[in-house]
Amino acid sequence: MQITRRRALVGLAAVSALLLPGCSGGDGGQSGGQSSGSGWSVPTTDPTATIRVLSILNLKGQMQPVVDAFQKAHPTIKVDWQTVPFDALNSTLDARVANKGGDPDVYWADQPRISALAARGEAEDLTAAFSGDKSKFDATAYDAGVYQNKLWALPIANSTQLLYYNKSLLKKAGLTNPSPSPEQRMTWEQLTTDAAKAKTAGAQYGFLFGQFDRYYQLEPLPVQLGGSVGATGPNNLTPDFTSDQWVKAFTWYGSLFPNGVSPRGMKAEETDPAFVAGRVAYMVEGPWLLPQLQESKVDWGVAPQPVFQGGKPVTPTGSWSLAMNPFSKQKAAAAVFLKWMAIDEGSGYIKYFTAPELAANIEGKKIYFQKDVFSSAEGKNAASIIDYETSHTAVNRVPTIGYIEFETILNQAFADIRNGAAAKPTLDKAAAQLATAWKKYQ
Amino acid sequence: MTVFPRTAEVADRATNTVPASTSGERPGRTSARTVVLTAVAVVVSVAFVLPAVWILIGSFRPNLEILTSWSPLSWRLVIPSRLTMENYTHLLVDSGFARALLNSFVVCIASVLIGLAMSAMAAYALAVYHFPGRSAVFAVIVISFMVPFEAIAIPLAQQFTTWGLGNTMTGLILPGIGNGLAIFNLRQFFLGIPTSYREAAMLDGASEPRILFSLYVRLSGPALTNSALLIFLGQWTAYLWPLLIVSDNRLQLAPVALAGTFGEHAADYGQNFAGTIVLTMVPAISIFALQRFFGRLSVGSGEK
Amino acid sequence: MASSTVMREPAAVRRRRRHERRHEIFWAVVFLAPAVAALVVLRVVPTIGAVVTSLHKAFPGGIIPATFAGFRNYNSLFTDPNFVSTIVRTLVFNLIINPLQIVLALLIAVLFVQRIPLVGVWRTLVFIPITVPMVGSAIAWGTALNPNGPVNAVIEVLGGKPQPFFTSPHQALASIMILASWVGIGYWMMFLISGLQAIPEELYDAAKTDGAGAVRTFFSITIPLLKRPLLFVLVADTVANFVLFVPVQLLTQGGPQGSTTLLMFDAYRTTYGYGSRNLGAAEVVILTVIMIFFVLLQFRLLREERTPT
Repeated sequence: MQITRRRALVGLAAVSALLLPGCSGGDGGQSGGQSSGSGWSVPTTDPTATIRVLSILNLKGQMQPVVDAFQKAHPTIKVDWQTVPFDALNSTLDARVANKGGDPDVYWADQPRISALAARGEAEDLTAAFSGDKSKFDATAYDAGVYQNKLWALPIANSTQLLYYNKSLLKKAGLTNPSPSPEQRMTWEQLTTDAAKAKTAGAQYGFLFGQFDRYYQLEPLPVQLGGSVGATGPNNLTPDFTSDQWVKAFTWYGSLFPNGVSPRGMKAEETDPAFVAGRVAYMVEGPWLLPQLQESKVDWGVAPQPVFQGGKPVTPTGSWSLAMNPFSKQKAAAAVFLKWMAIDEGSGYIKYFTAPELAANIEGKKIYFQKDVFSSAEGKNAASIIDYETSHTAVNRVPTIGYIEFETILNQAFADIRNGAAAKPTLDKAAAQLATAWKKYQ
Repeated sequence: MTVFPRTAEVADRATNTVPASTSGERPGRTSARTVVLTAVAVVVSVAFVLPAVWILIGSFRPNLEILTSWSPLSWRLVIPSRLTMENYTHLLVDSGFARALLNSFVVCIASVLIGLAMSAMAAYALAVYHFPGRSAVFAVIVISFMVPFEAIAIPLAQQFTTWGLGNTMTGLILPGIGNGLAIFNLRQFFLGIPTSYREAAMLDGASEPRILFSLYVRLSGPALTNSALLIFLGQWTAYLWPLLIVSDNRLQLAPVALAGTFGEHAADYGQNFAGTIVLTMVPAISIFALQRFFGRLSVGSGEK
Repeated sequence: MASSTVMREPAAVRRRRRHERRHEIFWAVVFLAPAVAALVVLRVVPTIGAVVTSLHKAFPGGIIPATFAGFRNYNSLFTDPNFVSTIVRTLVFNLIINPLQIVLALLIAVLFVQRIPLVGVWRTLVFIPITVPMVGSAIAWGTALNPNGPVNAVIEVLGGKPQPFFTSPHQALASIMILASWVGIGYWMMFLISGLQAIPEELYDAAKTDGAGAVRTFFSITIPLLKRPLLFVLVADTVANFVLFVPVQLLTQGGPQGSTTLLMFDAYRTTYGYGSRNLGAAEVVILTVIMIFFVLLQFRLLREERTPT
């Protein structure tokens, strides 16, 4: 009586035959979006369509006013909003776009990852439709969306970093407030000494980076000393972070922790609350701290981000862009949405978004600086610093199709340095690891 | 329940025998042993539940205070400066969490009902019958829970989308009903039920389904509870699968909605903790209730 | 099943036996079909797909079609010293944490089948960690074991030196073990309690009248009769610990200095972080093969005799 066994095997074979081709990594279908601007352009009259937008922001309480404003301006295009948790965006995006179903039509793209997205075939070529709008954006923000001389995403936001300080804690330590003028930028060396003094005088934390151990935050350090942004060679696929400048920068970084000037073990989400609670003397953080400070009791001030003695000022930059799914079935409508979000009315996203968001669009920046959070005296200082840094000292993160491996491995190295490992051997080991990981792109 | 006399008698004897857990002391006489054991039990339980208690306290605190209350160490770690319900109200009223909670409930209950029935049948067949291919089937079941779900999630999601199951309740429920561990657990338990019970039932003329559902199931309270829990928790904590298969936010499940409390720059720990407590309560209360319900069932006694 | 030792049976008996066999097989198929169908479609076929995927190579992301590459992925993995040390680390981790968790779960289970007041409450409290979403547990333990956190503060009060925990390559993995055990022990305890409750009272009474002490009783009666649930718990715990990666993802990202890079975390990062599905599939295949080996070992060790008819 072999019925059961035979039946099972036949069933298994049948189902396998049905499903295996789909499992082995995909066949058929177009080789996603490599043909430039295939058959669509920004339409003069709105099509009637529904587009799906994938974002890390919620509709309720955040994006609703923006979507409402868009619907008002373009009533025939309906927006279907999808939110994913921030940590899950990249993995979810990979899977959803690779489904080739065209869902979502538009998605939030992290600027340094745009080269990687383009190389994978996950972004639609926007050159024909939007390269003419280049001058409307801050140069670094626009360039972040460029790969192999083609445009793959439109920037809707930007960022920079400021040095925030707690006036009361500084006064307790007898320290003078840093100047808000970019010409009188503090040095990291001076900051380290002063932060140590503030800690001795009673501050719980002398100095915090907004995001410890993140390449976004720490990239300027070696670049200020003349080092590279981290990769070099053809297509930026050769690791270049073991130079003397890198070692010097990160030896300094590692020196912040053994004496407790900066804490080990503090995560990125914990730094803002610590400053807002009045426990931190100095903190380098982005403009998103400003609304939180408005509601707090901290007597705060701002200054430009410090620079190494003898180095040139460099600040972190970059934020989100919008990209189009090459398999989207509503490209014209998606293009309308892209244009409205990034360009129309000085950037519809910036204009209508509930929280103040630094625009990549030059017109949009003006709107941004009108926001209430810049009305105080220190707020005005912040505005002028932000404007200056985004126009003069911002340096993009390294553009490479291997960005994800780069950032992951380098962030790990930074964490190790923070936890006590010596800078040079750690960076060397990371370079070897990255070279292995990047072999697949050679 | 069935009215087959011999089966009923055997099953009754089995369920009414005092199980091993209530051995020892006569009621009313507390000995030093009981006191010591109780003390140890309390210490162990408190140690285990302490972190969860911290989360519970945190859920009633303003968000900012959670992160600033543990260092430097003070009584502030456990005593909030003020209690507030704002985390719960924001979470349940303002965000989409309440709906996600409902979705999770539906998916979990459906998965348990279907999955448990399927698992019980399969476990019974594996424990009781001898047929060619029995080891192969068992191997399939063991392999099914040994391959990490993350390894098959993407191809499975693509398959489901091809079949039109993307953004559907069915698509969310299906992967949860095939739970090899649940089958394995029940099979182990069924193996311990003396075959004489079954033979007695067969002499009474009971059909196979009757034996399974009226005899074996009745004797398997704890094992069924545990298997149900396996299936339930698997679906209750599902994160990757809903992310891959659901793009419509109205259909999203609770763990994904909970992850939304962590934004790009800021994390709302208060709301996160409130959601955590809500998500913890359901399985915790269920297991407490089910324990009292099934706690006294036993098998294997009342044989001779 | 009774096998007849009589050489020749009357035809009627043979016919009845055949009928019984057919009866059994019929019901076996009926009862197994739904579960087996579900498992084959939802688990087995994608697994085969994953194995096939591991034999291909593709540009990361999943859109550009893959090309057949034979064992190239496996080759590049095994020639990468970081990967090899990940495997070793994973094995060491499991060889420590599995027995640890089972023994502790068993001890606590034994404690909680004693007749003590409010035993249902204590069991539930110990069980609660498995019901807490992992993110919450990670935050709680990340805070507790923070170098500036409460546990170190208590240690200092008691006169000790503050420990680095998650920030040290020597302690991070152990800290992960603590978190994983905190979550898992209560869970396995429940299964073992069911198993303990199924042991007949008479056996303990008989042992007592024979004069056996508590330890002797434990090893000659309790353990042998716990074989079946113990096998389940061992296997399930082994699997759970081999596929553990969420605490690593939330707390250490595989660091410091790679000391918490476990195989499943690496596979997850390769597949979902880097988008290299083929390489990630190869890693998972390797992980599963290792798991199968250990599971088979456990089946062998806890081989049970059939229940007497």
